[in-house]
Amino acid sequence: MALGQLEYILIHRCVLSIKKGEMRMKGLLSAILCLALAVCLLPGICKAEEKTLMMATTTSTDNTGLLDYLAPKFQEATGIELKWTATGTGKALKLGENCDVDVLMVHAPPAEKKFVEAGFGADRREIMYNDFVIIGPAADPAGIKGKSIKDALQSLKAKQAIFASRGDNSGTHKKELSLWKAADLQVPEKENWYIQTGQGMLTTINIAAERNGYTMTDRGTYIKYEDNLGGNPSLKILVEGDVVLLNQYSVIAVNPKHCPKVKNDLAMEFINWITGPAAQEQIKEFKLLGKPLFTPNAKK
Amino acid sequence: MKLDVPIYEIRSLKHSYAGRLVLEIQHLKVQPASIVGLIGPNGSGKSTLLRLLGLIERPTMGQIFFNGRSIGPFSDEARFQVTLLPQEPFLMKRSVFKNVSYGLKLRNNKDDLIGRVNEALSLVGLASEEFVQRPWYALSGGEAQRVALAARLALKPKVLLLDEPTASVDAASAQLIKEASLRARQELGTTLIVASHDWQWLYEVCDDILHLFNGKIFGSRRETMVFGPWQELETGRWGRKLSDSQELLVPSPPDKDAAAVIDVFSIQDAESREAPNDVCLRGIVSRLTLERNSGCIFVTIVAGNVPFVVGLSQQQFQDRPLFPGKTIFIRYSLDRIRWI
Amino acid sequence: MNFILDGFFQAIDLLITGNAETYSAILVTVRVSSYSIGSSLILGIPLGFCLGYFDFSGKKPIRTIVDTLMALPTVFIGLLVYAFLTNRGPLGNFSLLFTLPGIAIGQTILALPIVIGLSATAIESMEKKLRITIMSMGANRRQLFLTSLWESRHALLAGAIAAYGRVMTEVGISMMVGGNIKWHTRTITTAIALETNKGQFGMGVALGLVLLTIAFCVNFSVSFLRRRY
Repeated sequence: MALGQLEYILIHRCVLSIKKGEMRMKGLLSAILCLALAVCLLPGICKAEEKTLMMATTTSTDNTGLLDYLAPKFQEATGIELKWTATGTGKALKLGENCDVDVLMVHAPPAEKKFVEAGFGADRREIMYNDFVIIGPAADPAGIKGKSIKDALQSLKAKQAIFASRGDNSGTHKKELSLWKAADLQVPEKENWYIQTGQGMLTTINIAAERNGYTMTDRGTYIKYEDNLGGNPSLKILVEGDVVLLNQYSVIAVNPKHCPKVKNDLAMEFINWITGPAAQEQIKEFKLLGKPLFTPNAKK
Repeated sequence: MKLDVPIYEIRSLKHSYAGRLVLEIQHLKVQPASIVGLIGPNGSGKSTLLRLLGLIERPTMGQIFFNGRSIGPFSDEARFQVTLLPQEPFLMKRSVFKNVSYGLKLRNNKDDLIGRVNEALSLVGLASEEFVQRPWYALSGGEAQRVALAARLALKPKVLLLDEPTASVDAASAQLIKEASLRARQELGTTLIVASHDWQWLYEVCDDILHLFNGKIFGSRRETMVFGPWQELETGRWGRKLSDSQELLVPSPPDKDAAAVIDVFSIQDAESREAPNDVCLRGIVSRLTLERNSGCIFVTIVAGNVPFVVGLSQQQFQDRPLFPGKTIFIRYSLDRIRWI
Repeated sequence: MNFILDGFFQAIDLLITGNAETYSAILVTVRVSSYSIGSSLILGIPLGFCLGYFDFSGKKPIRTIVDTLMALPTVFIGLLVYAFLTNRGPLGNFSLLFTLPGIAIGQTILALPIVIGLSATAIESMEKKLRITIMSMGANRRQLFLTSLWESRHALLAGAIAAYGRVMTEVGISMMVGGNIKWHTRTITTAIALETNKGQFGMGVALGLVLLTIAFCVNFSVSFLRRRY
């Protein structure tokens, strides 16, 4: 980064005042001040005016590293810099409602549909899916391996096996709650084998591992967890493949009618890019430990 | 500046702290280039008076005039000409040099700072290259007070107010401080107003001495002020036992801690009384001072440990020569004692 | 427990190899805490001076309020600042959300009570003799104010350091208002939160040690300045 003219003048003045020497104390102090100012202003002034798109997404999506992988490719293709903040699904939708972001990437279809119906979102497009799995200790004390999701949950309840829940109103959490309902069971809110962590997916998995218990996670985060532990995790996939375990990711542009200041043109460029064949192929290629994390399913 | 304008004039001054009256002066004038002493017990208002004259505080009521102009704190007419040296040595958190040059820098008076700082420090006996760079925490109490005085002398003030300048310092520093202050008066015509318990020094150098008690000014140097506490003695009369077991008698005091102003009207070689209300005390001559203006000779006679001051004309002195160390008797009358 | 030792080695590795993400977080942290400390000192020291110097009715209640505000939780401040800076909020037009100046606003609110409170204490414990000395040298009101301020510099510095410590180490405001956006608003503390949430405890410890190193460097230079002046 070349020095801006302003910084040069500031530093030049400081050096002169130090040389003058007679006001030694004042010279030293102003030199420190000038230096500090330069550090602060430098990057700000040097950055040219770029196109930036602000996105809200979920922590589980961010934690897979998919966005770190896709963002540079998006910038190469369109010259737009993608900036994103990762929070829980609830907060991401709230940020969209408050017009603080331009586009959303989340995975909670019922909530998303409500969001669009309320007029906060426009152009919702499905882009990829992965699935949820139930994981637990290899020894499987509750004996749920291979069962259907309904039977598995009923066994967990019967055996009072330790189960860690996200408990944070995220997409994953809402999915988990719907599974209990689908199994004709009441959500075991107050049971002491049901741990509501209130935190992100990886943390919840770690807590389940500590307690030698079970939890429900998306496959992407599971693969990441597996990767973190060098391919040898203490919790293994026990229940998978049930059709209700589908985890659908979508992108939604924040509705310009609701938020006039939002960068809708850049958001649409992103949506078109990520549903386009090149990006969809890149999503398919995104692997961890040799396993793909997502299956692209944008409609042509 | 007119020659007959007093450098200070106080009118109808009353000063209170937290509702309590601590100083009350109806009228006071101080002549330029004079040396005025303030004597009185602690709490008598000396420091308050010096702070008011030094423009540190504004009097609750009344006015102070400097060279004929009414002034108060931050007054531009006076703040560069008046300076106060407080009792406890205090320096700012900087080197000796910076402390002494601070006042000069305030006045934007920066020519030859080093020379003037050294000049001021040599007045108090501290001029040295090493000393000038010392930080504020590396000085003894006496050195700090001398530096503080040097800082004020460097300003060449018209008025120098000293609050017990020798009270918190060692003897050598005290001596240097006294000499430096007097030199300022001699060389610059600085008016000095000094509060001190060192009454011997004050009697020696001052043109006028004000006695302060309970916030009021009494008397001049010609009278002797004696403080309580008073006891009722065995003979039924009131007085104080002196250190040589003499009794200093007084009429019954209005309260135990009142101060008595005693007018000694006679010095004699032997003990004798003419009236039943006369009191005769034996003492030793301790000091003889010449008051330059009037030519009077003031004799300080210490009885017990109380100094009595008697003024004698040149003629009276020649009739009965006195010398320090001579035992002599003083006589005063109980009827002529004033209470304050 | 191994992750603590791992973290230690990781910290050295991150710094020496010039890890881009780490250095980005360091620069972001330094920039935003400089903004916050700068503005809180500029605003807080004069206010603290007035609080300590002047007597006025309501002085004691105000002092109590200032002392209470020193314990504001950072997430609470973050939430309040978000409410103002969000696009639908009163200050939405300034687009300060997810930016460093936005975080700086929140951190200034965090630091101000500390600076004001400790400055007031510094002024109150100033010796009365100082006032007499300065005035007897002939200072006017402005010179009295500036010199008193300089004479209290050591105590004021202590207040600045306390505020700085609070600002450098907070997470709640940076997270809520900054959004923890990589390369842009990811500070060391939000990075630690992220890594810990991902289960990468070693990395969390490493970043924590980096933060400590920065804090140490700053305090070292401050104590050097203290002795010099």
